[in-house]
Amino acid sequence: MQQSRTFGKMGGAARRLRIPDILSTGRRSAQPSEPGLKSAHFNKPWLAFGLVAPQLLILLFFFFIPSYKALSLAFVQVDPFGGTQIFVGLENFYNLFASPEYRGSALFTLWFAVAQNAATLLLAGLFAFATDFVIRGRGIYKSIILLPYAIAPVISGVIWAFLFNPAVGPIAQFLHELGLEWDPNRRPFDAQLLVTIASVWKNVCYDYIFLVAALLAVPVSLLEAAKLDGARPVRRFFTISLPLISPTIFFLVVMNFVYGLFETFGIIDAVTRGGPAGATNSLVYKVYQDGFVQLDLGSSAAQSVLLMLIAILFTIVQFRALERKVNYQV
Amino acid sequence: MTAKSSIGARMGRTIRSFAAGAALVTLGLANAGDAGAADRIKIEWWNAAGGRLAEITNKLIADFNASQDKYEVVGIGKGNYEETMAAMVAAYRVHQQPVLIQAAERGFLTMYNSGAVIPVPELMEKEGYKIDWNDFLAPVAGFYLVDGKPAAMPFNSSTPIFWYNADHFKAAGFDKPGETWQELDKQLGAIKEKGVSKCQMALANDFYWSLIENYAAIQDQPYGTKANGFGGLDTEFIFNKSPLVVGQVTRLKTWLDAGILQIAGQGLSPDQLFTSGTCSTYVASTAAHAAVESGAKFNWSATFLPHEEGIEPKNSTIGGGALWVLKGKSEEEYAGAAAFLNFLASPKTQVWWSKQTGYVPVTNAAYEQAKSEGYFKDHPTREIAILQLTRGTPTDNSRGFRFGNHNQSMALLVEEIQGVWTGQKTPQQALDAAAARGNQILRQYEQLHAAK
Repeated sequence: MQQSRTFGKMGGAARRLRIPDILSTGRRSAQPSEPGLKSAHFNKPWLAFGLVAPQLLILLFFFFIPSYKALSLAFVQVDPFGGTQIFVGLENFYNLFASPEYRGSALFTLWFAVAQNAATLLLAGLFAFATDFVIRGRGIYKSIILLPYAIAPVISGVIWAFLFNPAVGPIAQFLHELGLEWDPNRRPFDAQLLVTIASVWKNVCYDYIFLVAALLAVPVSLLEAAKLDGARPVRRFFTISLPLISPTIFFLVVMNFVYGLFETFGIIDAVTRGGPAGATNSLVYKVYQDGFVQLDLGSSAAQSVLLMLIAILFTIVQFRALERKVNYQV
Repeated sequence: MTAKSSIGARMGRTIRSFAAGAALVTLGLANAGDAGAADRIKIEWWNAAGGRLAEITNKLIADFNASQDKYEVVGIGKGNYEETMAAMVAAYRVHQQPVLIQAAERGFLTMYNSGAVIPVPELMEKEGYKIDWNDFLAPVAGFYLVDGKPAAMPFNSSTPIFWYNADHFKAAGFDKPGETWQELDKQLGAIKEKGVSKCQMALANDFYWSLIENYAAIQDQPYGTKANGFGGLDTEFIFNKSPLVVGQVTRLKTWLDAGILQIAGQGLSPDQLFTSGTCSTYVASTAAHAAVESGAKFNWSATFLPHEEGIEPKNSTIGGGALWVLKGKSEEEYAGAAAFLNFLASPKTQVWWSKQTGYVPVTNAAYEQAKSEGYFKDHPTREIAILQLTRGTPTDNSRGFRFGNHNQSMALLVEEIQGVWTGQKTPQQALDAAAARGNQILRQYEQLHAAK
């Protein structure tokens, strides 16, 4: 009795959702389903709208309104206080493409995104592969790798900046004693390297979690069969595990690109502030610097429109690739 | 009753009780707040004070709040000057601006033409306070006064001075730093050679102000046309055409390469390089008194900025900040802001503030009061800034800088000079590029504001 009453209550919701009645009442509904509709759909449009409304509101406030603002500012020159506004057409974009600083920033961003991506995946892969072979203290091993993810980017950035500060940083002193010239304030490559290391350190745990999970999903039977055939761990990894986890790797490549392009702002701000001489001025950091520090809103808006185009391109590439190339079936 | 409506009723009840609870909590909090300050009117002031200066600023605010019971000034630190200005502009666009904002001298023209400010004399007159605008020290008046009246309240005025570690100079056999860059060059080299200190000069974060702009003023080199912008919006940067300014950047680069000059970089403040005794000298604002006095554990002293050999040095230019009153707030808030500004302008506050921080007293009355107390006899380094600011007759090149969006052209000057530090550009190339890019900004600014 008790059970059937519970089901009865659920029936209301189930009917609205058009969940086949067999699930709720245990027998088929006499009503035939409407043609041309999927088995789960909404009869009352307001419910559907209500359910997606929170998401739509978030999109409205954090995507559509800002995008509209950026688009409207990208074609004007504006007094930061909002007093005067002059329509300048494509001048903001033209100035960007003509500026060697912007091209330098784009080039650095590309280099940084690729280097960061490769290093993160490589390290995370190595750690994930080694997880199986750590017998004692596996918990500690995992915790240490996961720890950086819990630290705010700005905090970790400040620590990296301090450790590698050529005047006082202990690691910088160590490098100097080794006879290496280390000065991120004066050597652009040192600064770029430092930002890359800090970003990789921060992101390696993200990739690690996914790779460990993916490796766990590799069928043990296959690995054991290979073992019996005499394949060593490294060979087993490259011939069996790696091909099977390739969908995860592809997903991580895309995520790492997104991280490198858009989420390393805090680290750059704390470690180098885009310097020296703009050497670590990534596209996103430049939007912030030009718009919010120097109050050149027109140029900053034009830059964010370009970034938006890049992000859209990435999304399309990812969806296309997911649909066609990468097979998620293990 | 159907299941649906019963759920609805239950949810309604939940929402109602939640709302009631929230209202109670809000009321409770409001009451708690009232208990402390019996319906005082809050005056928000966004400032750019950091470190030791922030502590002193908070004390100043506390003193004002204790001096009366109608208003409560709430000081909010928003980072450095650029960050404070950016935060204010963002807030202004969405009508969340504070009543008072501390903006650097660099932002003067931007603020003045913004259309977002109420001129301080207008406010003070309306609220019935009398302030003698003729009593400001000449260099302060020369910079802030437009047609005899300041648009903002000059508050923390400073100028760069030359700080040095007297122990290091003594150990290297020198009584004091030389007066010219040439002598100084030899001395710093000698200190390095004798191994007295690890680094001989710390590069300040605002070196563009202390070592470039003020260098141009003291050497009487034009920084921009039209009297450095005082003469109109159609000014242009020409600092790249001065062989002396180019030579200055070259000198700094040489010192960097020789390990004499040290960049602090991220994660470290250049103040610390000097106050810890690591670096022997430091060219920075007189406001560093606050940090040096509380931090340096050695015989420190300060003197005038060096000048080129064979040149009669001019005055240095005013730096620091002024307080601006923003539009769009309530009458009550403006009354409170006026009371606070009046409190700040009083010689008593001025003298206290100047003694605590090292900033220059901005009025003659305050300067005379400190002098008559014999304060400068006991603290000779405190007078250097005033003496240097008032030295000689100001020329068009030494009165100060009045460029639109100067934050922006300054930032890219720094970026270009960093290109010299990294060896990617020669000093001439970097300054040429900085002037060219800076002129684009000036033209944009002119285009936007020409109509006004």
